[in-house]
Amino acid sequence: MKRSQLSVSLVLAGLAAFLLIQSRHLSFGSMRVPQTGFFPTVLAILLLILAVALLAQGFVGAESSRGPDKILAEGWSRIGLTLAAMIAFALVLESLGFLLSTFFLMILLLRAIESQRWSKVVVVAVLTAIASYAIFGWILGIPLPGGVLGI
Amino acid sequence: MDIFSNVALGFSVALTPTNLLFCFLGSLVGTLVGVLPGLGPVGAVAFLLSLTFKMAPATAVIMLAGIYYGAMYGGSTTSILVNIPGETASVVTCLDGYRMARQGRAGAALGIAAFGSFIAGTFGVVGLMFLAPMLGRAALRFGPAEYFALTLTGLTLVAYLTQGSMIKALIMAVLGLLAGSVGMDPISGEERFTYGSLTLRDGLGLVPVAMGLFGVAEVLENLAAIGPQSIYETSIKGLLPNKKDWQASGWPIARGSVIGFLLGILPGPGPVIASFVSYAMEKRLSRHPERFGTGTIEGVAGPEAANNSATAGSFIPLLSLGIPTSAIMALFMGALMIHGIQPGPLFINKYPELFWGFIASMYIGNAMLLILNLPLIGIWVRVLKTPYAILFPMILLFCLVGVYTLNSNATEIIIMLIFGIGGFLLRRLGFEGAPFILAMVLGPMMETSLRQSLLISRGSFAIFYTRPICATLLAVTAMFLLWPLIKRRKQAKISHEN
Repeated sequence: MKRSQLSVSLVLAGLAAFLLIQSRHLSFGSMRVPQTGFFPTVLAILLLILAVALLAQGFVGAESSRGPDKILAEGWSRIGLTLAAMIAFALVLESLGFLLSTFFLMILLLRAIESQRWSKVVVVAVLTAIASYAIFGWILGIPLPGGVLGI
Repeated sequence: MDIFSNVALGFSVALTPTNLLFCFLGSLVGTLVGVLPGLGPVGAVAFLLSLTFKMAPATAVIMLAGIYYGAMYGGSTTSILVNIPGETASVVTCLDGYRMARQGRAGAALGIAAFGSFIAGTFGVVGLMFLAPMLGRAALRFGPAEYFALTLTGLTLVAYLTQGSMIKALIMAVLGLLAGSVGMDPISGEERFTYGSLTLRDGLGLVPVAMGLFGVAEVLENLAAIGPQSIYETSIKGLLPNKKDWQASGWPIARGSVIGFLLGILPGPGPVIASFVSYAMEKRLSRHPERFGTGTIEGVAGPEAANNSATAGSFIPLLSLGIPTSAIMALFMGALMIHGIQPGPLFINKYPELFWGFIASMYIGNAMLLILNLPLIGIWVRVLKTPYAILFPMILLFCLVGVYTLNSNATEIIIMLIFGIGGFLLRRLGFEGAPFILAMVLGPMMETSLRQSLLISRGSFAIFYTRPICATLLAVTAMFLLWPLIKRRKQAKISHEN
């Protein structure tokens, strides 16, 4: 059996057990008057059953589907860089302000796939930051954080 | 029934300058995401959802619908020109459409795809116009038990129709229901799974979750494997199909329209299935099945018609029963509910200007798309040449800003990213996002109807099998749940005998 399916089943079973314990803090009520904890408890039990079924299916070997193409190290580094840039954006957006955060985000992302010329990257980043500020801030009138620039 | 006055009312709503503008913008954006591989209509609707909050409800729905059917048109362009489906409903169009383009008949293929889509789209809208009010009236007699059964049947069917393992799809559905139960209990208001987070008190937001699962996850997947981009170089001549093309495509378009519409009503990714069924059917009915796959125009006309009428059909369960049947319909439901409008049996009577305005806008939108797609094809070809290195930062920026502007809350960006990473990893393991998002939206309705049913029946489950509609729905559900097991046993038996 595939190791990935084994670990997924176990993670799901663990999640189900966790949710089952968490649901005990909520009032279950009764069959006649089901309350807040009723539905999550039923779902957690269902999840547990399905996780076991997935595990069993893995052992029987019924799963014949081909796995996805393997991601090369290069692909993982692109994904890592992109995610890091977006998380950083979320963290600094309110203190640094929309324009600067967007500018830095674009600089990082534009170089994520292939290293392009710096002049081009900077020009595109500046234009995108201003254009998106214009669309969201001015045309759509959405309040965007000003941050250190104060606009 | 004064259907004419209703249609007139609809056009009076749809033809206001604002609604006309947003119908156009929706079709335009839809065509754009359809043309661009790597961002599907679900992601596009998700990221424009945040912009619709400040609009009038009719305008919001008109624009979002434009995106949906616009993407169906646009998707065919990419399939035909570069052999990459712009979205999944155009996968089959690649088979013959790209071959036609290679033979220098790209113009005819694009033309028949656009005309076929227009005819089928219009047919679907007419069907929607007649069927939705009828079903809505029938649904007035539904009680909580029927609603519980409907949500359960819908989810099971979607899990059944999702490609790959059914267990995995069901797991995604259960996880989605759990995600939908985060926040305040829909009946008592008690908090669940919020862990002191203010953002989670109102529940997990549909927009951050959908954008994570369908926007961010899709971009990450594309980043994982970037191959050389194939670019279409030759020029396109003669967009109008000739008389022979029309003769060959007439019946496929007619059949595709009907089949697509019917399949669209059923739960699941209607347009995708409709396009496959139409292709298979045309191949079977054809006197020259061997020509399919070598660039025959029937192979483009049928599926392209089918996926467009399915788009219209898929609105029926949402607007008349209040049950979304696919991820994109779940987003529509979210868009309506944000404006305090509950789709369901009362919807058409309560908001006639909204329903008929929406119907009328779909006629107008289909006509606009014909104009957008044929003469402007050169622009779309140029858009296709944008390198992904430039494109993907823009898509992500839109996701980030779109989610942030919902409530000016950076926590929602983090939620989106978590679902983006999770969605990406789960998809690689064979778990699809569609059952999850559908379940998340249906969750509160399912829970409320289940608890209300039990309250009515004083805890007896007889309420679910003594009411005929409810019992039928549950029997159908059980059949779909058990069918894979029966099928496997049969196959095992056959292979054993061999």
